[in-house]
Amino acid sequence: MALDKPLTDYDTVKTWDQGLRRQWGGDPLAEEPDMLESLREFCEFVAEDPDAIASKLFRIRKSDGERVLSVKWRTHYADKVKEFRARSGGGPEGQRKGSAVLSFMIHNGVLIQA
Amino acid sequence: MEFQQVVGIRRSIRYFEPDKPVEQEKIQKILEACRVASCAVNAHWLKAVVVRRDDIAPADLEKMKNPVQANVIALAPVHIYFYGDPGVVNQIKGSRLKQLHDVGALNPTHGWSHKFVDEVVYPQILKPLTDNPFYPVALAFDCGVAACQGVLMAFDQGLGACLTAFVPEVVAKYTKVPGNWIPFYQLNVGYPAESREAGGQRPRPPFEEQYFLNQYGSSFPRDPKVVKELEASGLFTTPARPDNAERRKEIRDLARRLNLPM
Repeated sequence: MALDKPLTDYDTVKTWDQGLRRQWGGDPLAEEPDMLESLREFCEFVAEDPDAIASKLFRIRKSDGERVLSVKWRTHYADKVKEFRARSGGGPEGQRKGSAVLSFMIHNGVLIQA
Repeated sequence: MEFQQVVGIRRSIRYFEPDKPVEQEKIQKILEACRVASCAVNAHWLKAVVVRRDDIAPADLEKMKNPVQANVIALAPVHIYFYGDPGVVNQIKGSRLKQLHDVGALNPTHGWSHKFVDEVVYPQILKPLTDNPFYPVALAFDCGVAACQGVLMAFDQGLGACLTAFVPEVVAKYTKVPGNWIPFYQLNVGYPAESREAGGQRPRPPFEEQYFLNQYGSSFPRDPKVVKELEASGLFTTPARPDNAERRKEIRDLARRLNLPM
């Protein structure tokens, strides 16, 4: 799936960028461009754009209208990250690519380790 | 290491050298420290099963992960699974109290005799206790006391450690523990990949909010002179602080080296 605009124009990628800058200082996405590339590859792999991925990871709880993490979708994407790692050759390279995707999710507020 | 230094340098270590094995004797020392802990009625509810991470099939290790401990259990070369055995009181029926009597720990000066244990303590106190809904809470406290000694021993041995939850249904495939054992926590053990300070001593609630003299609401007076002594002895070490550039660099370097998200 081709993204319909540059990756860095998506709101959730902007949030990721801001989170990385705040956490580590400097401009991590520029310093480590592999991270953006990994996210782009992951988006192609799941055929979804970053905003769509992030929006699925949260749901509105019917009982009180609170925005909460979706366990179902977190499990889904954690599994997809594992597949993505394996597809990227496994080993350190696959780990590195998977970790970039996890970083994207983490800085968008998703508690996830996989 | 001196006791106060061990207490002072303990941190929840979440970054381990994943491929550096832990010597068997160091693991034994952790367990020995657990074993000599204080325990009500000398019951010793705590049980532990040690499993080396590399003896766990990768597919099972995946199933043991949850969203908050996955990286810790994946990095730690040794897992110690802590359980409580609620059946122990009715197995030993006060015999360990009588042992304490025989060695002069529990004495007639404080009301203890074999007859008291056999006719009162076990049948009238301990046995009914095992049916009380709060029994698991009582034994959990003692298990925590024992596990804490093991944690401190790990640091005394130059290791790092971190308690996390575990997935009992998956872990049981390896530990094969009796079905009535209560799963508590997993102690992840290994050589720290973090520096010894690991960012410094973690923030804690104010002393005055936690501890009281005579009654709740009357804070235990905190003498600054004592605090100074504890700083000198090593119980207090460098406090962790926000926006610590050195710590941030350390974590970023670890994230790169261990392929973790940053």
